[in-house]
Amino acid sequence: MPLNIIVLIKVIPDLEQIKANASTGEVQTDRIPLRLETLSENAIEAAVQLREKHGGKVFGLIFGKQESAPLMKKAYAMGVDEGTVLTGYGENNPMHTAEVLCQKIRTMQFDLIISGNQSADTYTGLLPGIISSKLNINLLSNALTLSIDQATITVRSSLDRKIQNLSSQLPAIVSVTQETNQPRLPPVMQIMAAGRKQIVTEAAQVADTANVKRISNKAPKSERRKQLFEKTDEGIVAIVKAIKEEIR
Amino acid sequence: MMYLSSILLLAGLLAAAASFFYTLYSIFWNALRIPEKKIKMGLSIGRRIYLTIRNVLLQGKLFKDSSGGIMHALMFWGFVAFAGYSATFFARGIVPSYQLIPAGLFKDVLFLTVDIFALIVIVDVGYAVLRRWVIKVPRYQGYNGFEASFILFLVATLMVTYYALGVLRLDGVSAGITGAIMEGIPASYTPISGFFASLFPGISGSSGLDLYWILYGIHAIDFIVFLAYIPTSKHLHLVAAPLNVLLSKDTKPAQISLIDFEQQKRFGATDIRDFSWKDYMDFYSCTECGRCTYNCPAFLTGKTLSPRDIIWDLRKVVMEEGPKLRHAGIEEKDKILTPVIGEPISEEDLWSCTTCMACVEQCPVMIDHVEKIVDMRRSLVLNQGKAPKETIETYTNMEMYGSPWINDPSTRGDWAKDLNVNILSESQNDDFDILYWVGCVASYDRRNQDIAKSIVKILQKAGVRFAILGSEEKCTGDPAKRTGNEYLAQNLATANIETLNRHKVHKVITGCPHCFNSLKNDYKEMGLEMDVIHHTEFINQLISLGKIDLKALESDDKEKFTYHDSCYLGRYNKIYEEPRTIIKTVTSNFEEMEMNKSKGLCCGAGGGRLWMNENVGTKISHKRMEMADKVNATTVVTACPYCMIMLDDARRVMGKDEKMQISDISEFVASRLVQN
Ligand code: SF4
Ligand code: SF4
Repeated sequence: MPLNIIVLIKVIPDLEQIKANASTGEVQTDRIPLRLETLSENAIEAAVQLREKHGGKVFGLIFGKQESAPLMKKAYAMGVDEGTVLTGYGENNPMHTAEVLCQKIRTMQFDLIISGNQSADTYTGLLPGIISSKLNINLLSNALTLSIDQATITVRSSLDRKIQNLSSQLPAIVSVTQETNQPRLPPVMQIMAAGRKQIVTEAAQVADTANVKRISNKAPKSERRKQLFEKTDEGIVAIVKAIKEEIR
Repeated sequence: MMYLSSILLLAGLLAAAASFFYTLYSIFWNALRIPEKKIKMGLSIGRRIYLTIRNVLLQGKLFKDSSGGIMHALMFWGFVAFAGYSATFFARGIVPSYQLIPAGLFKDVLFLTVDIFALIVIVDVGYAVLRRWVIKVPRYQGYNGFEASFILFLVATLMVTYYALGVLRLDGVSAGITGAIMEGIPASYTPISGFFASLFPGISGSSGLDLYWILYGIHAIDFIVFLAYIPTSKHLHLVAAPLNVLLSKDTKPAQISLIDFEQQKRFGATDIRDFSWKDYMDFYSCTECGRCTYNCPAFLTGKTLSPRDIIWDLRKVVMEEGPKLRHAGIEEKDKILTPVIGEPISEEDLWSCTTCMACVEQCPVMIDHVEKIVDMRRSLVLNQGKAPKETIETYTNMEMYGSPWINDPSTRGDWAKDLNVNILSESQNDDFDILYWVGCVASYDRRNQDIAKSIVKILQKAGVRFAILGSEEKCTGDPAKRTGNEYLAQNLATANIETLNRHKVHKVITGCPHCFNSLKNDYKEMGLEMDVIHHTEFINQLISLGKIDLKALESDDKEKFTYHDSCYLGRYNKIYEEPRTIIKTVTSNFEEMEMNKSKGLCCGAGGGRLWMNENVGTKISHKRMEMADKVNATTVVTACPYCMIMLDDARRVMGKDEKMQISDISEFVASRLVQN
């Protein structure tokens, strides 16, 4: 059965390059390059693998800002067939994000939604659950493997210390983990084809309810001793000694 | 009898020639019709002739393995002289009165040469038998034993019957035969035949004549079989190798060609159409001698990669699929050609290669293995997105951070912050004479930053006006290029070329041989002309110009130095002497390790291997450290940050950190600068 799969893709600033202002502790995220959240890449890979097996279409949805739009190219290169970027993302607010996405999803034909089980910039992990309840479809979370037979999806779901099999009728939403797969390196033909593909952007139709307030988001102060152990051969002993002195 | 022999000889020769040329035709059909990869052939005629004289006539590249090389060279020269004999043999045999080479001194001397060389060839055959089956030289083992013995048998028989016929001639047996070979040559010009004749009692009459014709027949048949057999065996190299040298490409060996992503439809080498006609000549030229494999660091440390097998496997596929394609029609490529990766060439082998070029350097017939290996890697990476997991992560980093590791690009120049260096990303002050290209490893790796600092110290001491790019510098793309990700490599190169042009850079010094090779050779292909100098060359110049002085070593007896050649400096760019000269200005306590200079053993890091796990066999770097240990080195001097990482790690893991240190040539110099 050919599948219509929606994959939810998050664009985040590259966390490796975020700096905090040393005196104010204010986090600087402007002018930091954007990237696809790594779990979104796992989600794309899972969707593309299912499409390769069953046929159908993978539709990518990004809720972000205008600057996020070019990142859809990477998703195309990885095998996403079509995509829309919803603009108007403000602060982290899972309820609002879910509502924006659901509004769009309700206008679409789909069998399956796939997303990462959380994202590295906020770590709330709430989105798949909220979408599941809003759309009234089953959530199969932390899927390690995904398989579809007729209109039923089965996943091996990773709980903390246990793995259990879950299955559900389609449509459903599945969240994936980093262990689910190894996202592919896009072949050059696809990278180039992706460059020529159209990226649709739409302004999100739902206003942010501002029901989440940010109280503080400052980097903790850290005072560096700036001790440099030049002789690497003596390193460990010297460092242990220095730490011992510090905690005395 | 005469009549019959003429006809038989002619018929046999024609049949052999027909079979010979038909095989050649089909082989050249393969080489001209199947390949789709284009190559540059701009090399000058003069250079071609030089290479052919050096490597074919003088057998230049064979002497890298001295004993086998001398043997082969003598065999080759013997055969060249013998060709003159064979031509006369057949010409006179078919038309008895015909003098192919007119009687006279030239002919006499030619036959004298033949008479001497035939003996050498017999001794050679004996020596070959000894090497192959008695001493069992490893590189011959397991390869075409039948073929080798058959060929040696044919050669030996040809020579033995030559002498036998010569002896009979001296006995006067053939005096009455018009077409008899060698009649008219003074006996003194066939001294070895003369010597053999003296060993046997003379023979004459009809039994002599019978024996003469039998030997004559064996000699003729032997030659005919040999002729027909050549193109179907590894002795195709007799035809293909000289051509291969004559038709050498314009590009340096192991130079990876550019891909035009807008124009080209197929990327890398998936099946045999994706090689060039020159690659086919390489396949045909391979003699299976195994020099490549027995100098390959991967093979020497227990990996399954064998460059000989790569060439020979590709040749087999060409020989199998070529005729099928010829019969079905060239348009049927998609139906007939099958991928060469997986079977017979495993992905694992392709990823084991360090692109060290030892194979290319050793190959006597100038085969370029590296280019083909990278082309097959390209097929995996560019068409299927396949590469080792670590390599894929490296690609992501290079794309995101302009470095193979996760490093914040804005901190790239931080190591130089307190050193009073013109960092262009901050100063935008283009008032400098030479750009110091730092490279990713020396920018970010803690140990290697010492190399960068030493280079700065030397440049400052010598009063050189230099600058670094700081955060505007990106990885040159070398690790991407050599692992087959040409797309990423070109993106990085394009960005760097734009930066270099913007700062109007004309002269670059770098401490990294990989950056050096990229900037000097790869970027040149992309249109960037700069004067690129490696720090070993530059420091050597500074010393000889008296711009810096070095203290001689005092504790000479306690310390022992050796030098580890970087592949990308040595074999790729032929810089062997400069680092050694520098070391020797300070100390005479220097000893070469085994496998040095053009035979230098790789550290295991090239070809993107620095960022891959090495789980099979011994680690290449460990093997190298054992060699350093053998000469009791206290300091291994290197000139490459990749080598530094590999050897420094090996030293620790092997527990040699007490007695041995690794030092870059720049550190070696910077710590011995005379302050005045
Ligand atoms: S380049 Fe080096 S590692 Fe690669 S096949 Fe040749 S000798 Fe072996
Ligand atoms: S590729 Fe060259 S070195 Fe290797 S076996 Fe063939 S002829 Fe010998």
